[in-house]
Amino acid sequence: MSDVPVLKVTDLHVTYGSGAARHHAVRGVDLELAAGRILAVVGESGSGKSTVANAVLGLLPDGARRTEGTVEVDGIELTALRERALRRLRGDVVGFVPQDPSRSLNPVLRIGEQIAEALRRHTGASRANAASRAIEILDEVGIPDPERRARQYPHELSGGLRQRVLIGIAWACTPQIVVADEPTSALDVTVQRHVLDRMESLRAAHGTAVLLITHDLAVAADRADDIVVMQQGIIVESGPAAEVLAAPQHEYTRALVAAAPGLHSARLRPRAEVTAVTADASGTPLLSARGLVKTYPGDGGSGAVHAVTGVDLEIRRRETFSIVGESGSGKSTTARMIARIIDADSGEIRFDGEELSAMEGERLRRFRRYIQVVFQNPVGSLDPRMSVEKLVTEPLRAGGTMSRRQRAATAAELLDQVRLGPEHLERRPAQLSGGQAQRVAIARALAVRPELLVLDEPVSALDVSVQEQVLQLLVDLQAEHGLTYLFISHDLAVVRQISDSIAVMSQGAIVERGPAAQVLEAPGTAYTRELISAIPGAAVTA
Amino acid sequence: MRRLLNPVALLSVLVLAVTLVAVIWPALLAPYDPFDSVGTARLEPPSWDHLFGTDALARDVFSRVVHGARLSLLAAVLATTAGAVLGALIGLVSGAAGGRVDFAVMRVVDVMLAIPGILLALIVVASLGFGAVSIAIGVGLGATGSFARVMRAQVMRVRNEEYIEAARTMGLRRPTILLRHVLPNASKPIVAMASTELALAILAVSALSFLGFGAQPPTPEWGSLVSDGRQFIATAPWLSIMPGSVILVVVLAVNGVARNLGGNR
Amino acid sequence: MRFVAPKVLQALFVVWATYTVTFLLIHALPGDPVLAALAVRAGDAATTDPEVLDALRAQYGLDGSVLHQYVTHFLALFRGDLGVSMATGYEVSDMVARALPKTAAVAALALALGFAGALSFTIAAYLARPHWLRSTISQIPPLGIAIPAFLTGVVLISVFSFQLGWFPASGANGFSSIVLPAITLSLPTGAVFYQVFSAAVFEAGDAGFVRTAQAKGLSQPVVIGRHILRNAVLPAITIIGIQIGYLAGGTAVVETVFSRDGIGRITVDAVLARDINVVTGVVMVVAVIYAVTTMIVDLLYGVLDPRIRTRVAAKPRARATTPAGGADA
Repeated sequence: MSDVPVLKVTDLHVTYGSGAARHHAVRGVDLELAAGRILAVVGESGSGKSTVANAVLGLLPDGARRTEGTVEVDGIELTALRERALRRLRGDVVGFVPQDPSRSLNPVLRIGEQIAEALRRHTGASRANAASRAIEILDEVGIPDPERRARQYPHELSGGLRQRVLIGIAWACTPQIVVADEPTSALDVTVQRHVLDRMESLRAAHGTAVLLITHDLAVAADRADDIVVMQQGIIVESGPAAEVLAAPQHEYTRALVAAAPGLHSARLRPRAEVTAVTADASGTPLLSARGLVKTYPGDGGSGAVHAVTGVDLEIRRRETFSIVGESGSGKSTTARMIARIIDADSGEIRFDGEELSAMEGERLRRFRRYIQVVFQNPVGSLDPRMSVEKLVTEPLRAGGTMSRRQRAATAAELLDQVRLGPEHLERRPAQLSGGQAQRVAIARALAVRPELLVLDEPVSALDVSVQEQVLQLLVDLQAEHGLTYLFISHDLAVVRQISDSIAVMSQGAIVERGPAAQVLEAPGTAYTRELISAIPGAAVTA
Repeated sequence: MRRLLNPVALLSVLVLAVTLVAVIWPALLAPYDPFDSVGTARLEPPSWDHLFGTDALARDVFSRVVHGARLSLLAAVLATTAGAVLGALIGLVSGAAGGRVDFAVMRVVDVMLAIPGILLALIVVASLGFGAVSIAIGVGLGATGSFARVMRAQVMRVRNEEYIEAARTMGLRRPTILLRHVLPNASKPIVAMASTELALAILAVSALSFLGFGAQPPTPEWGSLVSDGRQFIATAPWLSIMPGSVILVVVLAVNGVARNLGGNR
Repeated sequence: MRFVAPKVLQALFVVWATYTVTFLLIHALPGDPVLAALAVRAGDAATTDPEVLDALRAQYGLDGSVLHQYVTHFLALFRGDLGVSMATGYEVSDMVARALPKTAAVAALALALGFAGALSFTIAAYLARPHWLRSTISQIPPLGIAIPAFLTGVVLISVFSFQLGWFPASGANGFSSIVLPAITLSLPTGAVFYQVFSAAVFEAGDAGFVRTAQAKGLSQPVVIGRHILRNAVLPAITIIGIQIGYLAGGTAVVETVFSRDGIGRITVDAVLARDINVVTGVVMVVAVIYAVTTMIVDLLYGVLDPRIRTRVAAKPRARATTPAGGADA
């Protein structure tokens, strides 16, 4: 491996829009990437990391303009090339792995053809040769039964397989550089690991330089040789991965490292100034469920989907009970049955001794105040037309009307609980950041003084630093109000930060359960072990 | 703020303002009586005296167009309002009820959509007789289906939003949720659609009046003015083209405003 | 077969439901169709002799109970019997059969012109840089739906028939006579195609798979042709059925402007004569054409779109990203 960089970005500036709406997304970025190495560009949304990736591909979106700087690939100055010449370079010298495998393959073309067309374009291979080489490539990226898969269409492949196809396309013409833009953020952790492993082995086999764009510091820690941290269009820190993680120099990097869930194993504690309600040691569980089953009827020719196939669980007072699982495991369906958003086909739910599953009509409606829900998408769970003041006080409408002044005072108080100032009262959901919106949703849930909060992936739509703050808030609120949490997440790293008890779900059933420490440190099933080992960041925590 | 300065929108509003004057107080704009001849000058080309020329009975065409605005536009507004209200109601009930009610209602709506609007209007006119009111009813009925469709789709969309689920877990009553959350969030596209449909209604109404199903002569109506001029198309094409262009301009103005209502889509 | 049968049923349903809606409209609205038709024909001198009226009702198939009429007329449809015209005394089916080819020729050309025009504008708008040029181009096609067809027709006649003398102003003789009417009809048709097309193209243009195609370094024509258009044509095909409905309505105006004796002209004359039987007959013919086209388009869609093709052919695959699926992968 030579140290001559195959990719050299010098003083890159990119702006979006023009006039007053002009936004300076990338402000003077320098990068160097040598053959066979992986450089991770880490940053949160809006940091400009994806724009850098686009600039390296020469594929800036409409309205974006490179105002200054150069991008050199393999000694060729990209910015001096015309579009036609760029097209010949793309796919041949620079490969690309996109973010979302479900949307990144053409739905009406066969898999094999989507690889073959790149080969024909750049290697001049004949139709037959390209097609047979495409099957070889499918085999190389670890797709079983490649002959059959080559004839299939994208919708017939799982997300993980599709991402492998896209990796195959990126490496099809053995490029010098591959740009991977959040290649696994749409995938489950176990799939993520396989996909990243495959990229690393291709890198090793072909000596490819990889520019890995990611929001996940833990992924970068595991995979990259060097890390560049971006914030608001500027590189705030760069260096060898181990150094950046072990001794972050910049304040922002330190905050990111501190917030990254994958890099910490400890459960969050309530902050010192929070006065905790003493824990309840009484033995009776707050909520228990027995034999919950939910089957969704299949549409048309397809069979029924057995979402949940008999779940029992017990949630003790003032604990955080987490259900963790990958997509399709039935964890959300379970939570929604417990919150009585959907009805279980069979099974029994008891809340504080009362049979919740048998309640109907007015009785159920009144009972709902004891169980409140916080949803995954913070903005989507707030009526876009309402002000924050109306939103957080709306649950109280069910209990009678309030005067204007009363309502404003209550709303301000609720916001204060979730550490938001009264200046937010008049805002609408669209004017709030994701983290603020989720705080408003939490404040709304607290308005009726519930006993159980069902938190359905409450932080997975948020940037890591915000994620950390919201999790800390939840931990504080739990101590302050003596709340019980049912926490749903796909992310074991997040679950690790907040749980007292953990249940692991897979294919509609709980496969393992127990105290958090036991499940995480001495997992009893192979599935849980796989989930844990797939958490990125092992390279650092170990 | 930028939207106010949009020249297309500004021009559209201006055109509609003038049109509104023509509807409310046509004498203010029309220089001549729409029914009386202005002398012996028949089939005169446009001039400063007669902006749109004169017709075969030596009447001032511009004055007839101005006076024709009322009947043509009121019929279009009536049609759109009727279609929007009826359609939105059907869509709301269908979407909120769900299940079999929804299925049955939507099949009927499918059929209303399958019959081209103008044919539906023709059936109505054939059975009800001629005139602006039957035209309005026919055109309104033709628009009902698409309003119902859109309203139902909106209700379904909003019903599946997380904030509706959130409202349910808050313990709000069903009617409260429907009125406070579903209806307001679902009706916005209906308002935008109504303005687009108004433009289509103006076209449909004038087409039917062009075919001779509207008011009987000598009452001026935009479509029939075009039709009246058609027999002189070889010698006096302005007789048809001028009133036709007025319809075009008004339709474009309505569209221009509609696009701004619809968030510049 | 499992795929075809429901589509056929659906087509039958549309025909039946259209018939029912039309029938209900005619019978629910006030007025006696026979009296109305007589009044148009004879003015105040129309007969009011009950015996004569009854005889006329029987002749036009408007006698007996409402239910009886509803059933017999519907059954007659399957024999191709659309009743007798009250104004002319001819069989409605004969009148339609004679007029249909003339209208079909215009409609087919209009459909083709509209499709081609919409496609060209969409591609032009997609490729256009800078931004203002793109937005200018994309402003043009929607005008097609804002122009009243009678205005287009009158302007075309005035310019191309009377001033330039290239095409006849009226009549239905030979290809040259269908050019102007077809252009007139193609404007709104093209505008609607453009709406669907451009939405699909711009959506596809933003989609991830187009980025993938560009990142492969494929040439511009390949990216547009194979990746964007192939996906955008599908939704455009689905609206062909609706377009035929529009065309059927549009011919009423266009055939009046160009004095062609097609379906549209028959309908207009029938409405003017308050000839309910002909109006119903035409509506039913249009409904059948619409239903059959929609059925063919649906079936075609199943062939063209692999997502639907495999859903029909095979059992659904397992959930996309279960850990098992990831591990075996």
